Amino acid sequence: MKHILLACSAGMSTSLLVSKMEEVAKEKGEQVKIWAVAQDKVIKEIEKADVLLIGPQMRFLKKKLSKIAADANVKMDVIDPVAYGRIDGEAVLKRALELLKEVN
Amino acid sequence: MNTFMKTLENVLLPIADKLNNNRYLTALRDGFMVALPIIIFGSIFVVIANLPFLDRLMSEDTFLAYQNALGPASASTLSIMGMFVIVGIGYKMTEHYGNDGIYGGVVALTAFLILTPQVLEGVTGVIPTASLGAQGMFLGIFTAFFSAELYNFFVKKNWIIKMPAGVPNAVSKSFSALIPITLTLTLFLIVRILFSYTGFETVQNFIYTIIQQPLTKLGSGLPATILAVLLIQLFWFFGLHGQIIINSVFDPIWYTLNEQNLSAFQAGSELPNIVTKQFIDSFLVGMGGSGMTLAVIILIFIIGRSRQIKELGKLGAPAGLFNVNEPIIFGLPIIMNPLVIIPWLLAPVVVTVITYFAMATGLCPPPAGIIVPWTTPVILNGFLATGNAWQGGVLQAVNLLVVMAIWWPFLKIMDKSYYEKENKGTDS
Repeated sequence: MKHILLACSAGMSTSLLVSKMEEVAKEKGEQVKIWAVAQDKVIKEIEKADVLLIGPQMRFLKKKLSKIAADANVKMDVIDPVAYGRIDGEAVLKRALELLKEVN
Repeated sequence: MNTFMKTLENVLLPIADKLNNNRYLTALRDGFMVALPIIIFGSIFVVIANLPFLDRLMSEDTFLAYQNALGPASASTLSIMGMFVIVGIGYKMTEHYGNDGIYGGVVALTAFLILTPQVLEGVTGVIPTASLGAQGMFLGIFTAFFSAELYNFFVKKNWIIKMPAGVPNAVSKSFSALIPITLTLTLFLIVRILFSYTGFETVQNFIYTIIQQPLTKLGSGLPATILAVLLIQLFWFFGLHGQIIINSVFDPIWYTLNEQNLSAFQAGSELPNIVTKQFIDSFLVGMGGSGMTLAVIILIFIIGRSRQIKELGKLGAPAGLFNVNEPIIFGLPIIMNPLVIIPWLLAPVVVTVITYFAMATGLCPPPAGIIVPWTTPVILNGFLATGNAWQGGVLQAVNLLVVMAIWWPFLKIMDKSYYEKENKGTDS
């Protein structure tokens, strides 16, 4: 089971992405747990995650969140704005899985 | 244009970074987040207590009894919201330092109570609720900052009473917090005593006169509001969450103004402010999200011809109804798109001006100080925010049309270029 944590300002717009990503994951038979939180909850949720992706509108928090992620040994990245706008679950899931491969 | 935008982004990104990594502003924002569910609970009952036509359906006495029965819901929440913000700030700052948050929250609250005058019209042994609400907002915020800093400083100094092994964790924790708390609160007591010898008499008075009053006066004006709105839009244009960045600076002012209106609304007197938290949240954000993109979505359904735009409309509509608009912002796209910068910056300013004057002239009542969750759909949130006034909903509908008119030519051009591109694709 791979745990993918998404974060944005209130966990609203990333939650749109969660359902799309779950659909794609189900089709592809990927065992994943994906959930979205507000950025200030990342510090509490990070230990349950294997990878952290943040909305592009939160990229000014990248420095702070990447430190939190690094401390928890979790890979993180900012979601591509185009994929974000299209709520492209497939592209974002692919990116998340790529990041997870980098870990291994 | 491209190099200009790159330069501007290089200016804005560090600002956003600074504002959001500043521990005071972060704690302030998170502190308000702590208070939010509580004040929304209070708001729900203000709405219920003031449902339309009730005053006509019930006899005067029944209506009064009904309102009095529901009164404590807002009196214990909205009216004293400063208290919850203080606890939130103290908690979050202490957590930031890696210490036990709850002590930070309680110390902040206590420090604030020490500075608060505990006398009202000659009666001692009381804490005036006004000083826990709007009046004490700024004092509360500063007190929370200072007390949290002091507390964490003293904790770091490690002048704590160490308990031998085997003492239950909670016991040793309560002791370990003792010295930092005592030192912090003693300092606040000294400050209170010192101030009693000045012309201001209380710190509350001092902060209120020197900082809060001038700042809220400035913040309630149209120019400052337009500036804030423009900055929010500008940040979003570069794909940065403008609301979260600017709110951390403006929230204390907007919430204070909001509280003043609430007290006036509940007392049945004239509402003192037009610009309040809800002015921004309902009349600017509450129309599909920042930039009022619900108007853009409606417009897409009316004039959209290209596949790309129509798809986006379908994708963005359900979320847009609840004021979540990232699909539109990143999908249209609005970010870094020179074609939309004019309507993107102009429409919110025009709506701000229209709304301000509609309220100033009495066409629509100003926000009543009720905090409506920002995900409440348009029309309904304007109605609720103005204290169940239909004019609030109508004003939003009018504003929606204005935004559509401003966007029309620009969306048309964009749609046309997408349409032509798509059709060229199928020909070749």
